[in-house]
Amino acid sequence: MTGILGIYFFDERWNVCNFGVYGLMALQHRGEETFGLEIIGNSRNKIEGEGLVEKILINNKKINGHICLGAVSPSISEFQPFKLNDSVSLAIDGKIISIEDYRWDSTLSYENNLRRAFKGNKIEDTIDFFSRCKGGFSYIVVNDKKEMIAGRSSLGTKPLALGKMGFEGGIIASETCVMEVIGERVPISPAENIEPGEIRVFTPLSAYSECIENCTKRAYCSFEYVYLARPDSYINDIPVYRVRRRIGEILAEKDDIDADVVIGVPETAIPFAMAYSNKTGIPVEKGFEITGRRVRSAMKPNQLERLKGVQLKLNVISEVVRGKRIILIDDSIVRGNTLANIVYLMKEKGAKEVHVRIGSPRIISHCPFGVEIPPEDELIGRHLNEEKIAEVIGADSFRYLSIDDLAEAIGIKSEELCLGCFSNSYPEV
Amino acid sequence: MKVLLVGGAGREHAIAISLAKSSYSPRIYCISEMINIGIKKLVEQSNGEYFRGNINDPNIVSNIAEKIGADFVFIGPEEPNFHGVPDKLEEKGIPCIGANKAVSEIEMSKAHMRDIQWKYKIPGRLWYKKFKTFEEALPYIEEYADSIALKPARQVGGKGVKVIEDIQVYLQDDKKKLKIAHAESIVKEYMKDYDDTEYKLLIEERVWGPEYTLQCFTDGRSILPMPIVQDNKHAFDGDLGMETGGMGSISCGLTLKYGINDERSLLTREEYEKSAEIVKMMVDAIQKETGKKYHGVVAGQMMLTPVWGPTIIEMYSRFGDPEAINVLKALKTDLIEICEAIINEKLNTIKLEFDENAIVVKAVCPEGYPNRRDLAKNHPIKINNDIINNENIIWASVDINNGAIVTGGSRIVECIGIGNNIPEASLKAENLCEKISLEDGWRVFHRSDIGSEKFMERRFSLANLAREIYQYRERKGLLGKRIIWMPGKGLIEVG
Repeated sequence: MTGILGIYFFDERWNVCNFGVYGLMALQHRGEETFGLEIIGNSRNKIEGEGLVEKILINNKKINGHICLGAVSPSISEFQPFKLNDSVSLAIDGKIISIEDYRWDSTLSYENNLRRAFKGNKIEDTIDFFSRCKGGFSYIVVNDKKEMIAGRSSLGTKPLALGKMGFEGGIIASETCVMEVIGERVPISPAENIEPGEIRVFTPLSAYSECIENCTKRAYCSFEYVYLARPDSYINDIPVYRVRRRIGEILAEKDDIDADVVIGVPETAIPFAMAYSNKTGIPVEKGFEITGRRVRSAMKPNQLERLKGVQLKLNVISEVVRGKRIILIDDSIVRGNTLANIVYLMKEKGAKEVHVRIGSPRIISHCPFGVEIPPEDELIGRHLNEEKIAEVIGADSFRYLSIDDLAEAIGIKSEELCLGCFSNSYPEV
Repeated sequence: MKVLLVGGAGREHAIAISLAKSSYSPRIYCISEMINIGIKKLVEQSNGEYFRGNINDPNIVSNIAEKIGADFVFIGPEEPNFHGVPDKLEEKGIPCIGANKAVSEIEMSKAHMRDIQWKYKIPGRLWYKKFKTFEEALPYIEEYADSIALKPARQVGGKGVKVIEDIQVYLQDDKKKLKIAHAESIVKEYMKDYDDTEYKLLIEERVWGPEYTLQCFTDGRSILPMPIVQDNKHAFDGDLGMETGGMGSISCGLTLKYGINDERSLLTREEYEKSAEIVKMMVDAIQKETGKKYHGVVAGQMMLTPVWGPTIIEMYSRFGDPEAINVLKALKTDLIEICEAIINEKLNTIKLEFDENAIVVKAVCPEGYPNRRDLAKNHPIKINNDIINNENIIWASVDINNGAIVTGGSRIVECIGIGNNIPEASLKAENLCEKISLEDGWRVFHRSDIGSEKFMERRFSLANLAREIYQYRERKGLLGKRIIWMPGKGLIEVG
């Protein structure tokens, strides 16, 4: 997954640079490995780098322009936005799997295939191209006529939202939290969901939307709600926080454990734990303290980095666990190393019992739409049942959320969700 | 009876329709700079005459009025008021519906309007500062980082206003730069052709809440308020894009209900009455200040804000455009009877009647509007009988050029939809908008969201949010007050 951002000011006197930087910072959770920000004004310039976006501020790089296109990516090999041709730049979240009337050349890179398939530089060329692309993706394009075109593939797999800046301009971003960080205050102009198949166009003279015809099938990514998105965002008009709270409640409803304390694994699982506690009456406590910067450890590309991240992020507070029966809640379990580490630390610090609950179904399969999930032989849930996992991580009990319960928590029918990583059954693109 | 209508935009077409419907069956004459084909048709049908000319020249307008022997003149737009056209007519003994030069200051000088509001302690007054030069404003903008509206201190056709929300400290420097750049262009560009106001630039506190326009007839003694209308200023769907003269307006009953038989409304009855009271106080105050009588239409372009509840954003010395279309469509009382009552200062004998229908007006504009009217101009419009004979299509900025009907650069037409509720009326307006296109294929646009269900829900929830906050302030006795604690300086009360 990737975080993508486009900002369009109609008044050329604005400098968009800082808006772009802070906007990308609001999307940082979608990718911490590389970033890119192209600024379009009288000329086109790009800032890109590895690591966190705030580096731009530290290096005090500032360029002028009133339009920008940016992205943050969790992959060290991916630099976005990238050029489709001399005049067109693209930022894309998700994956294009095939393109109508184009034969995919497997000897070329993904980007080069897109470059080869893409023709022209006009608004219509862009709209036509992406309507021929099959897959699960959201995109933003800027061309050298100062036109910005953004859209969501017809299944709506990846999120995309529109925000406003009064009379001054508009924002397109992966998540609505961006609008709160750089946009207009919410009660006046709430962020709007861009519908699957919808295309949003900004030109120096106009802003309008178009729709791909005949797109009624949906496959909204369910993992956005569990882990990927920020809890202060709305995905498809549904508040992410509400889903996470509901997941915690459902876990509580399905449990009947006599425990002393509920602990959520930071950051994502904290709302699950709070809701679990509110539902059961078992007090929730802060179980961990962090050393250094907050990082999304699960998104680190290699094992050592992940473990470093986990150990620094998750020092167990002894006082909270000593002598206690604990309900420990995490958002997901991929390989199981993190949880094994935590449960071990808790027991070492005197926890009497540790019951692990996962706020998502077991992950058993890859994501064809760009969410970075490890190879299938690394996925603990694909190979072991709940009982065995409990033994491996040293927990007294272990349970997942069911797929049906996840759909219920989201509030979207399961036929309209992409649940591929949990079910190994994928939407037809 | 002969009536001379001054102005040729959508508002004036709506006025002409109301005049034509009158039981007095007047002969309608019109003067405007461009030829509005909608008005032209009514002029011809009533055996009147259409004049092309400068409507801001008191001599030209009054000479025509004399020549045709007009019983009275109805002035549509604001500029003839500012230029003293009503005064000249009065001098010649020709009755006129239109604010005279003195009282139209209420609109022309935005700084003067605020001065009066504060002097007479009229509720709904925003905090403001006025400046004669850019240099005078500069240190002020440098020092105070806040959300503000920068306005030309004079009404310049609704242009030049910029609202900058300045809340995020990390974006403050960029916003300050733009505030400064824009303050400079207000003084040096937008105001460069106007020397009739002392102040050039106005900085006001920025407020939020649902906007509405309350238009009233007045004879200087009493005011008769009409239903409130909500205009929508953003150029594009979803309240996105540049500020325009208005892309569409909605109304239903006095308080802007969701539908004829619906409990939900934008304003409460009390808020409606309070708004009318505020407009009345403004009229009384401007008459007291100038010693002149106000004969015509006055409107408060208002907002329900958390600070005050009903709050004046600007005043109009005439009907709003497109807001005029909503109220005139709903008006059941004979417009000429109302005009006579204004002229004779007997407005208190008139009982205004309006139907309860939901009315949605949508403007169709050529691409380029509002900022690049040069590009939006002179595109031939596709005309057929369906369009030309439709009484729910109001012609706005159009002209006749070598026999062809062409765009004038601003809104082409304003389409009216009428229904039992706003979303239903919106769909009807939508169907009319689809009929408008240009011969040369130049793109036209309109706002499809205005009046949709989602749109209404949003407007109502915004009103509720603002209402909750202002009512809390009311309960605490804090309405309109701003109390700040400055470390080291203590408690400071503003307002």
